[in-house]
Amino acid sequence: MRIRQLLIIASAVLLLSLMIWAQAAAKPVAGQSLSVVALSASADNLLNRGPSAWNQIAAKRVALNRTPPLYDTDEPATLEIQSLDVRIARAGGKLLVQLSWRDPTHDAVTLAEIPNTPPETRFRKVQTEADDRFFDAAAVMFPAKPGSDAIAPSLQMGDAEHPVEIYYWNATRGAMLMQAQGRGTTRRTGQSFPVNSTYQNGQWNVTFELPDLPSGTTVAFAVWNGSQKDRDGRKYFSVWQVLE
Amino acid sequence: MSRHQYAMVMDLNKCLGCQTCTIACKKLWTDRDGTGYMYWNNVETRPGLGYPRQWDRIGGGWKDGSLQPSPLPTMDDYGHAWEYNYEQRLYEGKKQPVMPSPEPKSGCNWDEDVGGMNEDENYFFYVPRICNHCTHPACLEACPRKAIYKREEDGIVVIDQDRCQGYRYCIKACPYKKIYFNEVTGKSEKCIFCYPRLEKGQVNACAAQCPGRLRFVGLLDDPESPVHKLVLVHKIALPLFSEKGTQPNVFYVPPFNPPKRENYGKSIQEDPRVPLDYLIYLFGPEVKDVIVRLEAELKKTQEGGRSEALQLLIGRDAETRFHVRPQLVQIQL
Repeated sequence: MRIRQLLIIASAVLLLSLMIWAQAAAKPVAGQSLSVVALSASADNLLNRGPSAWNQIAAKRVALNRTPPLYDTDEPATLEIQSLDVRIARAGGKLLVQLSWRDPTHDAVTLAEIPNTPPETRFRKVQTEADDRFFDAAAVMFPAKPGSDAIAPSLQMGDAEHPVEIYYWNATRGAMLMQAQGRGTTRRTGQSFPVNSTYQNGQWNVTFELPDLPSGTTVAFAVWNGSQKDRDGRKYFSVWQVLE
Repeated sequence: MSRHQYAMVMDLNKCLGCQTCTIACKKLWTDRDGTGYMYWNNVETRPGLGYPRQWDRIGGGWKDGSLQPSPLPTMDDYGHAWEYNYEQRLYEGKKQPVMPSPEPKSGCNWDEDVGGMNEDENYFFYVPRICNHCTHPACLEACPRKAIYKREEDGIVVIDQDRCQGYRYCIKACPYKKIYFNEVTGKSEKCIFCYPRLEKGQVNACAAQCPGRLRFVGLLDDPESPVHKLVLVHKIALPLFSEKGTQPNVFYVPPFNPPKRENYGKSIQEDPRVPLDYLIYLFGPEVKDVIVRLEAELKKTQEGGRSEALQLLIGRDAETRFHVRPQLVQIQL
């Protein structure tokens, strides 16, 4: 009798710990995996190749979500961009990720170049053309310590135990590498990375050159729509996906 | 709460709208790329549009403990920078007069001296504006990057240019629209109350250069400082739009013009040159009490007495007007 009771308690404890473990090690489920195509071309070559080269790689359509309103003072935003297409190739020791999404508004400008001479030595300064415009942007986020064993970090820019790397591209300001350990901790590292972007017929195609990430790494994507005044956490995001 | 609070009092009766403060500030702080339209200090004619235009009606600030919404002012509200076609006139022999381009449609103090009408008479006065270095800053609350902070030692509100990402929530939140976005650097900027000068015992550039001697600077909590005396002892200076809830630390002595007609022995309130409603709009209902106090001080001197408040407002020398005390606010590390 006592042994049966002990067995029941033991199995209940086991079941409970299994559930907790499963919860903690929550992994994206089937349907959230991304296939990676290995190519012999160099990363440089692939980065700058036109859409025809990329079209040969099957795209995975990833659903986008809007972040909930973050501030009472912000106008609500609608889901104008519902998904993005992801193509991934491994080439020349790099991982190339192409994100394509439809966006009827091309929110990007070419800012005036700042002369090399210090402003105090120049009569004419570069002017602020507009103070109220925001630009299209996209980002790929993955754990700073990638690998299949790693637990997926918090989707909100990672967490203290699971820092993330964010490869951020802005249609006006270019590519910048960021790091974060939770919401509000994102910082620019001052480093950049190779990126190639085109906007044609209402569609962005942006190719990121990332370090080669091992199979099983979780990656997430974000898109900012300038015309919707997107910046900061006001954006579109995907849930974690797994590299095959 | 910061341990000390630098504050400024501006006596609007003495402002002549010369913009020397504006230029002093511009030459010192905003003569860089992307800062052309920035006036950390500006002087605007009241009643009037202000800079950016209609900033006082656009929104922001606090209500019932919550930040209030506001759109971002646009470049149309600030006015686009223009250039003159001198080359065409001087070197290319074109007969047209020198013209600005693009056509100027707005700018800093665009409606200079237009003012308003009080029955059949025109009236106006100038309001110099800097960041109010509020005790309860809406900009600080709005910044998700925590790039804005209020200095513990002296209450000056500054934007950390390393942390700022140019999201512009602060510009929306500021009810005084005293933060400007620099598109060249991609970051927002504002008046820094000349803290590098204060730290060396020098008063703010705008105050130092003011030919009207209308600015008073010191610690609000220093009983010796002129701002403490004007705001807390004599109670003759008020902040702009206190109902916005940010508790500004820039205060104004309201315009105290004599009555319009037959002013001898009459009260300003009987026949005001500047309509009281407009002063109440800017400074709240308390402005009436301030005018009563100022009138009483004036009466005292007219009867041969001495008014400490009015003597202070004359502000004969820098020592009277400025009490910059870096040693008082220094944090021992």
